[in-house]
Amino acid sequence: MPQAPLLDRQFLEKLERLTIHWQKSFNGLVGGHNNSRFAGGGQEFLDHRHFHHGDDLRAVNWRAYLRLEKMFLKMFQVEPRVPVRMLIDTSESMNSEDGAKFDYARKLAAALCYVGLVRLDTIAIRPFAARLGEGMQCGGGRHRLSPVMDYLGALQTGGRTDYLEVVRQFISTHQQRGLLIIISDFLDDAGCEKPLQYLADFGHELLLVQVWSEQDRTPPWLGDLDLVDAETDARLQLQFDEAAREAYTRGFDRYADSLQQLALRNGGRYVGVSAAAPIEEIVFGTLVRSRVIA
Amino acid sequence: MYFLNLSLGQFLALTAAISVPTVLLYLLGRSRRKQVVATLRFWVPSDQPAVVQRRKKIQQPLSLILQLVSMLLLLLAIAQLRVGTSLATPRSHVLILDTSAWMAAASPVAARRTLMDDARDKARAYVKSLPVSDRVMLVRADGLATPATSFELDRGKLERGILQSEPGATALNLEQALGFAQHEQDLSPYRTGEITYVGPGRIAGEAPAATPPKNLRVLPVADSIENCGLRKIAVRRSPTDPDVWDIYASVRNYGAMPRAVTLSLVFGGAPAGARKLNVPANAEREITFAYRTRSGGLLEAALRPHDAFPADDHAVLELPAEPALAVTIYSNEPDLLQPVFAALPRVHAAFRPVGQYRATGNGGLVILDRFRPPQPPVGNAIWIQPPAGASPVPVRDTLENVPFDRWCSGSPLCNGLRAKDLRLPTTLVFDAAPDDIKIGQVQKGPVIVARSGPSKAAVFGFHPALSDLRYELATPLLFGNILRWMSPELFRRSSAAASSAGMVTMQLDSDVGAGEIAVTQQDGTPLPFTTHGDTLRFFSGNPGTVQVLAKDRETAYSLTLPEMWNAKWSAPAGAKRGLPGYRVPAAFSRDLWELLAVLGGIGLIVEWLLYGRSEGRMRRVNARLAVLRPGIRKAS
Repeated sequence: MPQAPLLDRQFLEKLERLTIHWQKSFNGLVGGHNNSRFAGGGQEFLDHRHFHHGDDLRAVNWRAYLRLEKMFLKMFQVEPRVPVRMLIDTSESMNSEDGAKFDYARKLAAALCYVGLVRLDTIAIRPFAARLGEGMQCGGGRHRLSPVMDYLGALQTGGRTDYLEVVRQFISTHQQRGLLIIISDFLDDAGCEKPLQYLADFGHELLLVQVWSEQDRTPPWLGDLDLVDAETDARLQLQFDEAAREAYTRGFDRYADSLQQLALRNGGRYVGVSAAAPIEEIVFGTLVRSRVIA
Repeated sequence: MYFLNLSLGQFLALTAAISVPTVLLYLLGRSRRKQVVATLRFWVPSDQPAVVQRRKKIQQPLSLILQLVSMLLLLLAIAQLRVGTSLATPRSHVLILDTSAWMAAASPVAARRTLMDDARDKARAYVKSLPVSDRVMLVRADGLATPATSFELDRGKLERGILQSEPGATALNLEQALGFAQHEQDLSPYRTGEITYVGPGRIAGEAPAATPPKNLRVLPVADSIENCGLRKIAVRRSPTDPDVWDIYASVRNYGAMPRAVTLSLVFGGAPAGARKLNVPANAEREITFAYRTRSGGLLEAALRPHDAFPADDHAVLELPAEPALAVTIYSNEPDLLQPVFAALPRVHAAFRPVGQYRATGNGGLVILDRFRPPQPPVGNAIWIQPPAGASPVPVRDTLENVPFDRWCSGSPLCNGLRAKDLRLPTTLVFDAAPDDIKIGQVQKGPVIVARSGPSKAAVFGFHPALSDLRYELATPLLFGNILRWMSPELFRRSSAAASSAGMVTMQLDSDVGAGEIAVTQQDGTPLPFTTHGDTLRFFSGNPGTVQVLAKDRETAYSLTLPEMWNAKWSAPAGAKRGLPGYRVPAAFSRDLWELLAVLGGIGLIVEWLLYGRSEGRMRRVNARLAVLRPGIRKAS
């Protein structure tokens, strides 16, 4: 039976008016669509500065020289083409609620890819669990979406998450700084705050998209529970009541807040989405409000 | 305190049947469930109770107790728990009032009163003797048990129902009435009371086969009266002389003394016969009359002197007039066909010369003898050797001196035709259509053809009186078959019978199919009937005329006689007799089921609110919160 497409045509048409934005200024090839605070060979005027020996005479403001008899150099704003990288979590913990969480993550990834492709951005997608998986790079316009959809549709969940190892691999293989979108549930027993901090310190702009299923945040069960960790098979037996459930949810929310603080502290952004929410509402509501796309 | 609906054993069994699965489901619902989760990191640090190593047997005991108590309360409500004594509980009684035809007989107790009056008085007295809280259903019983009221507290309505009860036309079917009463009491939500029969107990068949109910009470109505009446009158045309009616009458003496009676017949106001009879006690006498008439009219039979039950002393039935078919024969040689039509009964033949032909006849049959009519006839017609261009069936050939080959088979038109070795001096051979009936054929094709349609036609290719056929018996038989085919209604065998309303049984001819039977009432509405073998049965609860048409046999039933009883029913020894003696007891009794049902419902709702809110509902709420949440936690 043919698999249903991740995103339908109507939704893709709506995505065409959006653009991926980042906040930091990166060095890169000219020809992108985001402004940079670095001066360079752009078209938009940025500032004046005093002329120094060796500067390009074509950039001298001759009108100011005639009036003030001083040579000022015009500086222009560079619009670099910044690499966009997307890490998508394929660990076993993403498979909760019969894979609904992972499907949601794939849809989000596909939507962001399409937004980037429409604006001629180049996007590198890499799956990860305990290690970085084989990725794909896409770019060159909206008509290149089909391989992306095929690639995302073929992804399978499995294995445990190891953010430290993944970050180490990523930093060693991607030297050029850029926008890094991580779509994950960020549920690593070893903690993922420190590895994420490494990424931010290395100079990447982090966009953390935390996807959770409802049972991740508010377990529906009550009574005697025999819990099994989906990734490690660790077991825990306990009694669970309403009060415990509220405490659990508070703990989950605290963790999400810590991720948000980490992202904001490092000039990045954080978006938390529930897999139960409609994807369109998240893209055009939450992501636009948080200025990930506009 | 007692249960109205269930016995204690039933209640305990139901309680056990509900409690055991509830406890099992409860324990199953609270057993430790294995769940796969994305991570364990949030479970450990939350304010959990200590990890349970040893499982408790029962958790949330209040939930279990609430469930069990609530269901127990609901069961008590279903069992209809009452406080007080069971004697004070209102009961539901069924009062069967005999409204059979016999109830129109004169009362032996008082002059100018009928048995129905006596039964009404007893029924009213019975209703008055019951406690006011008891409900009573009035059922009128004759051949059918018909409820006149539902279970009523309103004594006025019951009184009116009793007073409006009148004798019917059928005999009492007590077994059906008792079965109906028991069924109604079983369906009644109230405590079962008595089934009371008011009447003389004269039943149609034998004694009821089923065991009478234990709660039966009998209020007998005295009916020790003498009666001698007509059982049945039947008439039919004599098989030897169609103008004579054979009349058969049956008279029965229902009394204990021999009776001398006179049966007189009157037809159309004129005496048609009278005969004296001595009928022994509890015996039946049959008597026959013969009466000659061709006309139709009413035949009345009267039995004198009258007795205490005059309804069966007089019967009326309608004799149908003998039908006749008008046949107009246009022929210049009438002598040829005169012997044929003289031999056919119920046929009035008129011979006219060909020159007097008129296309519009008198509604009868037209016979055209070897001539071309200026206009074809309007109704049914028999064409004899028509000119080739005027034949209604195309002529294929003309042959001379040919042997007759064969008659048709399987058609009523050829019934009894056996003549062979005939030679036809000259004959037309027809080109028959597929639907035409080829009555007679020579080697080269049909020479006698019958054609159906709005107007039926039969065409002879030769003149039967000018061939060898004139010496054969087949000739009048052939014309008789053709006339019967063209006008079947005129050749039906008619009979009439006066009998009683109720179940009527009739013997059918062996060759009558189910589709050839029609049973209609006087106004033409069909009456349901059943057939079993050669027996037809139908039921008519009211007096009237019912016509049964079975193929070519027509029987008119004049159901003017009342259906009489066959036996007297004796109430079983255990049945109570006479009016009940109890009065309203002063004991207290009150229903609690409403209160118990409300308490049980409240208990279940409370248990659900405290322990049983569904997970699905919680998921939906959380999904809504999840949509709002990222907006609240706005990223910079």
